[in-house]
Amino acid sequence: MDMIYCDSAATTPLDKDVIKEMNYISTSIFGNPSSIHKFGQESRAIIERARLNISNLLGCNLSEIIFTGCGSESNNIAMLGLLTRGDHLITSSYEHPAVLKTANELELKGIEVSYIKPNSNGIIELKKIQSAIKENTKLVSVMYVNNELGTQNPVDQISNMTNELGILFHTDAVQAIGKKNISLRDTNIDLLSLSAHKFYGPKGVGALYIRDGVKLLPTYYGGGQEKDLRPGTENIAYIHGMSVALETVIKSQDSWHEKLSKYENLFLDNLNKFNIRYTQNGKNLIGGILNITFHDILSQDLVIALDMRGYAISGGSACSSGSVKSSATLMEIDMDEQSAMKTVRISFGKNLTEKNILGLSNCIADIVNSQKEKSSSSA
Amino acid sequence: MLNKNRVLVAMSGGVDSSVAITKLKEMGYETIGITLKLWETVDPVTKLRKNSHCNSTEAINGAKMICDRLGVHHYTINEIDSFKKYVVDDFTDEYLKGRTPNPCVKCNSYVKWGNLIEQANKFDAYYIATGHYARIDSSDQTIKMGIDTNKDQSYMLWHIDRSLIDRTLLPIGDLRKDEVREYASEKNLETSDVPDSQDLCFVMDGDYRNFLNKFMPEKMEKIDGGNIEDEGGGIVGKHTGFTNYTIGQRKGLGLSNPEPRYVKKINPISNTITVAKKESMFSARCKATEINWLVDTPSFPFKALTKIRYNSTGAMASIDKHDEEYIVDFEEAQLAITPGQSIVFYSDDTLLGGGIIKEHDDE
Repeated sequence: MDMIYCDSAATTPLDKDVIKEMNYISTSIFGNPSSIHKFGQESRAIIERARLNISNLLGCNLSEIIFTGCGSESNNIAMLGLLTRGDHLITSSYEHPAVLKTANELELKGIEVSYIKPNSNGIIELKKIQSAIKENTKLVSVMYVNNELGTQNPVDQISNMTNELGILFHTDAVQAIGKKNISLRDTNIDLLSLSAHKFYGPKGVGALYIRDGVKLLPTYYGGGQEKDLRPGTENIAYIHGMSVALETVIKSQDSWHEKLSKYENLFLDNLNKFNIRYTQNGKNLIGGILNITFHDILSQDLVIALDMRGYAISGGSACSSGSVKSSATLMEIDMDEQSAMKTVRISFGKNLTEKNILGLSNCIADIVNSQKEKSSSSA
Repeated sequence: MLNKNRVLVAMSGGVDSSVAITKLKEMGYETIGITLKLWETVDPVTKLRKNSHCNSTEAINGAKMICDRLGVHHYTINEIDSFKKYVVDDFTDEYLKGRTPNPCVKCNSYVKWGNLIEQANKFDAYYIATGHYARIDSSDQTIKMGIDTNKDQSYMLWHIDRSLIDRTLLPIGDLRKDEVREYASEKNLETSDVPDSQDLCFVMDGDYRNFLNKFMPEKMEKIDGGNIEDEGGGIVGKHTGFTNYTIGQRKGLGLSNPEPRYVKKINPISNTITVAKKESMFSARCKATEINWLVDTPSFPFKALTKIRYNSTGAMASIDKHDEEYIVDFEEAQLAITPGQSIVFYSDDTLLGGGIIKEHDDE
């Protein structure tokens, strides 16, 4: 059975061009970029071309991008490298664990942290950030797009405000990059994390944008690579792959967005035809991520039943380890626990066709209706 | 209509359940691997959450490797609430009553032949399967001992709902453990060398006393030390809290008798431990409660091979019923009959049913 993948917010498959490029690098180029000889020079050139390309695509300076191992690592390097005892951090209460757990750890190290709750639409309000600011506030970190809901936060407004107050602003943009055009030069964002595998690049590589002039202390130590902030011999093929992936995804962004909204309408209209009871959660959505409560079926049952029929969706984060407690994000938007247990995330990627979208929608309708029949016959 | 070709296989990531699912797949069943997430604890040093070993990360990933090899689905299902309610709470309550429970029995009847059956219904699967060393005789819908007498686990199955035998497959019951390992290594199963688990899955360090202290510190703090008495009621020593002792225990009593003494009774109400010489530890009669039959209810009295603990060979006994009380009379007196343990009845190798051993009556 061919599986249809509708979980692109979790990860994406490698783009074909990216595979080709990475294969070439992996099989032909191996020198240590720090070596003096020709082998080293060749590798160095690949990394620096990738840096140049990515900085152009994101509208920032070459000197403002460092390569990391993933989005989580970028978040860690930014937050742990910036904050010291006595500082105050403002972040949101529904961040990805890569930020939330880092904030928890910082608290243990004597950093004061304020966690701002999203509103019921899943958005962090500027005024709530404003009212949390203190004299010792050094950093505000708010995710660009929430990974479970797909809601977009007003990061431009927040960063404009923090900039005026001389406070630094970091955003975990892992779910935004590749879905949204960002020109960092035109914003007041000081630090931004991204991850290649969310936009058809390889897993195991990410980047951190650090505005020129922002100083971070190293969080671990080694041979000085990536401005001493991410030591360790660089993964040339992955870095190059990320660069190619970002370029490809940005080129096709506009046409893809058109297609996405068509897919979403098709999907939801079809559910309506079958009279399926559902609620779409969140407002100001990025597109491509649908967070939906299906009132007549538990998310675990729906995810498994769909998987058995060849459709992959997500039942909320961290489901694979079996920790199917209701999602912390949904609790933060004050969803009741019962609804949270019936909420799934469906995220569309470039691999899909209209036929797939209709197939998924039909399949969900079929599963929900047969579940309703089962429970009414057993009642 | 449930699909009679579809089986949900409970997978612990060990070699037994890996072989079970592989054999079922070979037999032509459509198999689905399920790992039940039953318990997790917090590491005292790192403060990180970790799963108990039957559903550890390695166990789940082991099951995923096997299912991937077979090309079948694998899911992890969270049953922590059910496991706590039916297994762990019962386990701790029993210790507070001075008894020694078999939590695996309750896990089987409530979680595996309970929650897993519910899952099977959701998957439209008629069957569930496990890697227990026991057999299903489909001719008369009975459970039989596993061929490997050293590994036989039928003792732990007496409490399951009889009607579910028909929906159960036990594919490794006709193999010996060494054959299971051999089969696993022939098939290159990644779990072929996973060591057998010995301890209770939720007692991470193997010490149930530590578990009780961590799980219910308030209740455990109230359990003070008390007197150790001989059978005549004379005080012979001090105990550190009755939950620290089990019937038949000899070591760690802190007594200085020249002849060894064994824990004969645990009395939570008077907070005393009664010790006795070995010869006084034998009794030929006990009472049982919570009886469950896996065959048509026998006519009383009847004789059966009776096991009073897991891994015992069993002894012949006569079982009778007076009103609602079940009385078991052994042909030969048995050592350290322990309240709270399962008492399980067999006719040859057929599992007839079982119950829970009640406190001794001092008649």
